Amino acid sequence: MTAENFEYPDFYQFPPSFTIQPVLATREKQLALWRELILKYHTDLRIKTLVVHECPLWKNETIGRELNEAEVNAVMEDFCKSGHGEWEDPGTKTRCRILWRKPEQLASDLYDWAEKNGFINSVCTVYELHSGEDVNGMSFQGADEQLLRRALAVLESQGRCTVFKGETSSEDGIKFF
Amino acid sequence: NKPPTRKQTRLTEMPRRGRIGVGRASAAPRFTEKAEEMKAVSLQSAMETVQKLETKLADFSKKHKHEIQTDPAFRAKFLQMCAPLGVDPLSSKKGFWEKVGLGIGEFYYELAVKVAEVCLASRSRNGGIISVSEVRRILMKRGTKFKLSSSTGGKVDKYSRDDIITAVEKLSKLGSGFRTVHVGSTVMIVSVPTELNNDHMEVMRIANEDGPNKGRVTVIDVQRGTEWNEDRVRRALDLLLSEGMAWIDIQKGKNSFFWFPSVWKEGFDSFESEE
Repeated sequence: MTAENFEYPDFYQFPPSFTIQPVLATREKQLALWRELILKYHTDLRIKTLVVHECPLWKNETIGRELNEAEVNAVMEDFCKSGHGEWEDPGTKTRCRILWRKPEQLASDLYDWAEKNGFINSVCTVYELHSGEDVNGMSFQGADEQLLRRALAVLESQGRCTVFKGETSSEDGIKFF
Repeated sequence: NKPPTRKQTRLTEMPRRGRIGVGRASAAPRFTEKAEEMKAVSLQSAMETVQKLETKLADFSKKHKHEIQTDPAFRAKFLQMCAPLGVDPLSSKKGFWEKVGLGIGEFYYELAVKVAEVCLASRSRNGGIISVSEVRRILMKRGTKFKLSSSTGGKVDKYSRDDIITAVEKLSKLGSGFRTVHVGSTVMIVSVPTELNNDHMEVMRIANEDGPNKGRVTVIDVQRGTEWNEDRVRRALDLLLSEGMAWIDIQKGKNSFFWFPSVWKEGFDSFESEE
């Protein structure tokens, strides 16, 4: 899918969507819609990183509306708080890693896959998890390594796997329990 | 000699049924009796008339069952016939209309449930007010069909705005807080207990006017349309904003617009959030 044939949701044509609403309940709804749009746009177009000042979503030329800088910040804060995004540069907040699936979701996807494919008590590498032959169609296929590590950290904290160092980071091993 | 006591007077006068009566006074009870008799007779005949009417309507509905079930316009006319006669074919009472087997009572019940679902799902974006047309559009898009009562079988997939209004009226009677309001010529369903007074309705009516600005107003638009002072306009808009029925659109150097999702001409087919 390209940017040209991306299907924007109806709220994107609604001018007030580009003004952060003063009424709390309305604002919550509005921010939820923006979260979904950001996630869907970046997921469908397979874009891993949102560069804030380059993102085409903030302005809708067709209706002549745009989010100003403060409003963009509000949307991004909310987006990251929801667990769908992570700042590569938390100090300057210009580049945001898109977490297509939240680490917790990926973690359970990974574990389910490991169970179904007999990887419990055996080892596979980080590389195999995102690019191996057995992961066709899985949510973690092609996943950003950082995101994968976040998911593995979740599993580790649940006692469902251990990660140990390999020669390169891609060769780091994971043992599922 | 003491004057006779009332009791004695009564005894000596001998009016019928123990009532006091001398001259004019004695005529009154007889009139009252007669009036009572007449009332009883007319009530009896009124009841017979209603029963006859109900039977006639039931026969009609049996003959035209298919049309009533499948043609929204015919169905609406049928209900209009019943209403002024005090006949309610949608009443859930068992017996009479159940035997007719029209099945539309169940259809309206199910429709009411679906209408309520659509209203509740859309509340976060429109504040709890939505047009009947939009509800119908959403249900049609979903391909929602309704079963008639199990005794008749069949499905209803053609339903009109009138059907939806009837269903909401049923909900209304159950004290659900759902009600219809008229915004200009558009019928809307309100599913929140918010008190919408005439000022609020007038603002919405202005926003609903056909034209290039349909769906939105500025403070000045409302002032022009009503001759209210600014305070009064802002008070009405503030409530609509705080209820989520209006969203604000602020642009640098321009007057703010107040947009009404329930009236916005583009509509929100896919506005329903997953979250």
